[in-house]
Amino acid sequence: MISSSSGLNELYSVSQENLADWLDRIQSSAKLIAHQEVGGILLYQPVSDSRQIAWTEARPTLSSKDAFFPPTEQLFTIQREGNNLTIVESEPVGKQVLFGIRPCDAQGIKALDALYLETDPADNYYQRRREATTIIGMACREMAPSCFCTSVGGAPDDSRFMDLMLYRGDDHYFLAVITDKGASLLSSFPLKSDLLEAESAAEQIKSYIPSRLPIEIPNQEDWPASFASPYWDEMSERCISCRICAYVCPTCRCFDVRDQLYPSENGTQVFERIRCWDSCTGTAYRRIAGGHNPRPEKGQRLRNRFFCKYYYYPAQYGPVACTGCGRCIDACPVGVDITEALSYVAQRGSLSDLDRSGA
Amino acid sequence: MYEPKIIAYLCTWCSYTGADTAGIARLKSPANLRAVRVPCSGRVSPEIIMRTFDQGADGVLVLGCHIGECHYDSGNHRTAKRLPVLKTLMAYAGLEPQRLHLDWVSASEGERFSRIVNEFAESVRLLGPANYPVKSWAVHNVELPWAQSEPLDSLGFDIQSYAMREAAIRDYASQLLSESRVSCVIGYERSPRGRLRPAFIYTPEDASRLVWNPDCTHNLTLYLSEKIRDGGRAPGKKPDQNPASIGIVVKPCDSRAIQVQLAEQQIQREQVHIIGVTCEGIQAELDAYENQPVSGKARLQKRCQVCSERTPVVFDRLVGGTVSPELSGTDSYRAVDAIEALPPAERMEFWLSQFDRCIRCYACRQVCPSCDCPTCLYERDDSLWVGPASGSGGVGLNEARTFHLGRAFHLAGRCIGCDECERVCPMDIPISYLNRRLAQEVRERFGYTAGLAPVPSPIVTVLSREEGL
Repeated sequence: MISSSSGLNELYSVSQENLADWLDRIQSSAKLIAHQEVGGILLYQPVSDSRQIAWTEARPTLSSKDAFFPPTEQLFTIQREGNNLTIVESEPVGKQVLFGIRPCDAQGIKALDALYLETDPADNYYQRRREATTIIGMACREMAPSCFCTSVGGAPDDSRFMDLMLYRGDDHYFLAVITDKGASLLSSFPLKSDLLEAESAAEQIKSYIPSRLPIEIPNQEDWPASFASPYWDEMSERCISCRICAYVCPTCRCFDVRDQLYPSENGTQVFERIRCWDSCTGTAYRRIAGGHNPRPEKGQRLRNRFFCKYYYYPAQYGPVACTGCGRCIDACPVGVDITEALSYVAQRGSLSDLDRSGA
Repeated sequence: MYEPKIIAYLCTWCSYTGADTAGIARLKSPANLRAVRVPCSGRVSPEIIMRTFDQGADGVLVLGCHIGECHYDSGNHRTAKRLPVLKTLMAYAGLEPQRLHLDWVSASEGERFSRIVNEFAESVRLLGPANYPVKSWAVHNVELPWAQSEPLDSLGFDIQSYAMREAAIRDYASQLLSESRVSCVIGYERSPRGRLRPAFIYTPEDASRLVWNPDCTHNLTLYLSEKIRDGGRAPGKKPDQNPASIGIVVKPCDSRAIQVQLAEQQIQREQVHIIGVTCEGIQAELDAYENQPVSGKARLQKRCQVCSERTPVVFDRLVGGTVSPELSGTDSYRAVDAIEALPPAERMEFWLSQFDRCIRCYACRQVCPSCDCPTCLYERDDSLWVGPASGSGGVGLNEARTFHLGRAFHLAGRCIGCDECERVCPMDIPISYLNRRLAQEVRERFGYTAGLAPVPSPIVTVLSREEGL
């Protein structure tokens, strides 16, 4: 039995039945979000019963960001009665537990933290959700062809941004306690498990974890040299200006804010302010009053997406806004591939290094 | 007693005056009827009607001038053609079609007006409220017989014949470019990582990048009007003074999209040079990263299993000389019948649970060769036809429904069934089941199939003599 006094970085063995039973107990007092098959696709979804959970290490279609940053979120309501305006802030849900989070998604949450949590002022809505959430990670035993987490500082077994970490073994799971938050979840909800001999267990886990040689990632200073390149117009010719890449991305975080009429009783007027996902690849993203669009070309929009991930965001907030999950590569209807853009910029960067050195 | 909300759209010339006539004659009208005066019943587009339902109406009445008496000559012809199709769509989406009624009332027919509105109000009262309670994210487990079980389950792909066609496409594209007969050839290529994708070829040398294999799923005609507008220029180049036409590689299904674009004057025939390729079908699991042609038997895409064409319907050059016999496909999915067989409430729940997954990426619209409005009606800043609060978690579910049903209606008689919208949907919303149902409706009602010839959809034309009411 693990309790809060259990040491961090110790490894436990736990069976799937015990995990399921544990999750069912958690579910009774917190919102449990886990892998679920919905309409034929795998998503992170609220589950009310552990039997709904899809026990898989496959990568869900959408990232786990909507647990903190939902596609549509009400910020507050405005009620008008006569000359009185009442503004009521919308409180996000209470405690939630995310189960089976992929390391790339956890890294995405970390990247979002840099903007929404660690940059002053913190985003209230994000912060409330973030603080009320415990993240239980699950290591990957396979890498999809489009995965490149190992190139951007991640790994299939990266537990840095988890509270608890699971690794699937052959007939049981390995469990590691990463943070105090994880330990306190275990103390509130005891989980039947056995302490393992750490070294040999770690060895065993290692044998399950896939590896992949990293692809070439440009240095941050390589990017400006590529800004004016005709490459962006060429590579974006096939882009259809949809927003899939941003919406499946664990770190894309742009939103649009609108006020709209809210269904209300006769006689009173209630408006709500909502925010919803937006994407720089859509045509209307940069359109301003009067109809002018400073970024009218597809090439400019796609370039912005890549520059944002690897140049603007790190410069402004620290972390790279790409975790190598590969979702945008798989989801793109027309085969736009971010890794091609990366290798182009990296190669151009190394050419300009030669220029600088006078070679 | 339950009192339904009824919105009546009345043509100002006839029906609105007819309502006045009824009033002057002191004929009784139901008190729950809200009249909206419109310039012509032709102005009452299906989007307005769907929006009316979304915002809480239980019944919608559209009254116009009698056919032949329209003050704008043929405005009511459009209403007469559109609304029955809209009723079919409503029924398919689980909304009783009896909630929408179209009729004709002239200025002098006060009595007729009174009778129609009273009868309609009574029938809607019997139907009850229009909105069923919907459980969010409740995936309705309807047994949908996918076309997988169709006899044409799989086809042996003949690698040799693909390679021959690929070589022919390359040769011909190279020839067209070197003779300057086209400024650009739109075709397929493999990305450096082996992924199949659209290619834009500007020089004869680059033609060797073109490929042809059972992964060529994209409907490239979506790029046609954009490329023509750009004068076929390569990225970063100035447009040609006298732009040559645009070459394009098309499958049989894609060629029908060209016919639709021609019919709707989006492009002119001389602006496009069509390289038609015979097709045995596209495989379902795209060969994403293997940089080699597929071998053996592969499962066909759903659409290809019911496809009836092997030869493009329009082309300047046909590639694939030995045309195999045409297929015996029915162009319709049995799942459409399965949905139709559900009770209305379950039908609505099925569709809402599908629309509820929508994340508004709009890839379905962006990838559609027939979605060619410069700015989508549903994304205009000024009209807010659908608010931004659609999708996920039940917020604005009606908005998602408005978008998907509205888009399906806009494609009635225009969708050629390439199912690209469904392929690209990251949330696997079965959009093709909407499109195919309406294609079937247009086929039955007007005897018309989109894209077989360059004639516009009968939904957007006036009534022919035979169709006169």
